[in-house]
Amino acid sequence: MKVTLEKVNTPEEEGALIKAAEVTEEIRNAVDLLENNCRRISVSELSEERSSGETVMLGTDQIYYTESIDKKTFVYTKEKCYGTKLRLYELEESLSANFFRCSKSLIVNIRKIRSVKSELNGRMVAELLNGEQLVISRSYVKDLKRKLGV
Amino acid sequence: MMVKLKLIFNQTLMISSAILFGLGIQELIEYLATGDAYFTWQWYIPLSIIFCAFVCSVPSLIFIDDYSSGKVYVLKVIIHFICIFAAVSLFAFLFDWFDTLTGYLVIAVMIVVIYGFTWAATYWLAKSDENKINNALDDLRDEE
Repeated sequence: MKVTLEKVNTPEEEGALIKAAEVTEEIRNAVDLLENNCRRISVSELSEERSSGETVMLGTDQIYYTESIDKKTFVYTKEKCYGTKLRLYELEESLSANFFRCSKSLIVNIRKIRSVKSELNGRMVAELLNGEQLVISRSYVKDLKRKLGV
Repeated sequence: MMVKLKLIFNQTLMISSAILFGLGIQELIEYLATGDAYFTWQWYIPLSIIFCAFVCSVPSLIFIDDYSSGKVYVLKVIIHFICIFAAVSLFAFLFDWFDTLTGYLVIAVMIVVIYGFTWAATYWLAKSDENKINNALDDLRDEE
């Protein structure tokens, strides 16, 4: 790909324009890198009754994982849980390349995984930085390996 | 459905290969021990091996979409092993794979060794993947 670098005078003028015939994973990675892995999505704070509360903008770098339960999508950070109107597949499209689907109903932020542990049945258990544990289904372990390049 | 058919096909191929490998080792030992360089089969033996492998692959379906863990999973493995042991024993009896009790014991040992080896290899591969993934995660992980 041809890369052109143009010097500007102020930080406000800084920007990047990527011309691509197709939005490949490499392009998405480049966009993530330029955006400093910090896209923002709209989520609703949940009260104890899990009803929608105040809408806030959440940086994707704060998200540990997202989960779909009974057609509702929840976004989990280190300590809090938010709701979003987006379906899981819609959310998946707007999340950075650091996220990967670890089961039909879960998308996890790879950067928040402390370690994984394999089980004999082909699944893996991922322990997150906040101590939570998520199951990576057998069929999605291949995706994780491909994403990590191992 | 395709996933199940693929599993049965792959397992049939793997079990056929494992039986032929076991048979090959047995004949090699016999050749080294007695010097007998010839080995003859009844016409139906190759087909019976493939058919036996197909029957042995069916119990593997209990592991499809398996979300059990711990004791339940171990119980499934035990049931799986018993089914395979019974199927091979039945085929060995029906198709005259052995003439004496010693012959049957050799087959029984082969089943245990091949089954144990398969699980050991599975465990080793899983641990290898775990280490590779954890090493890769070390370079990506956010600060806590």
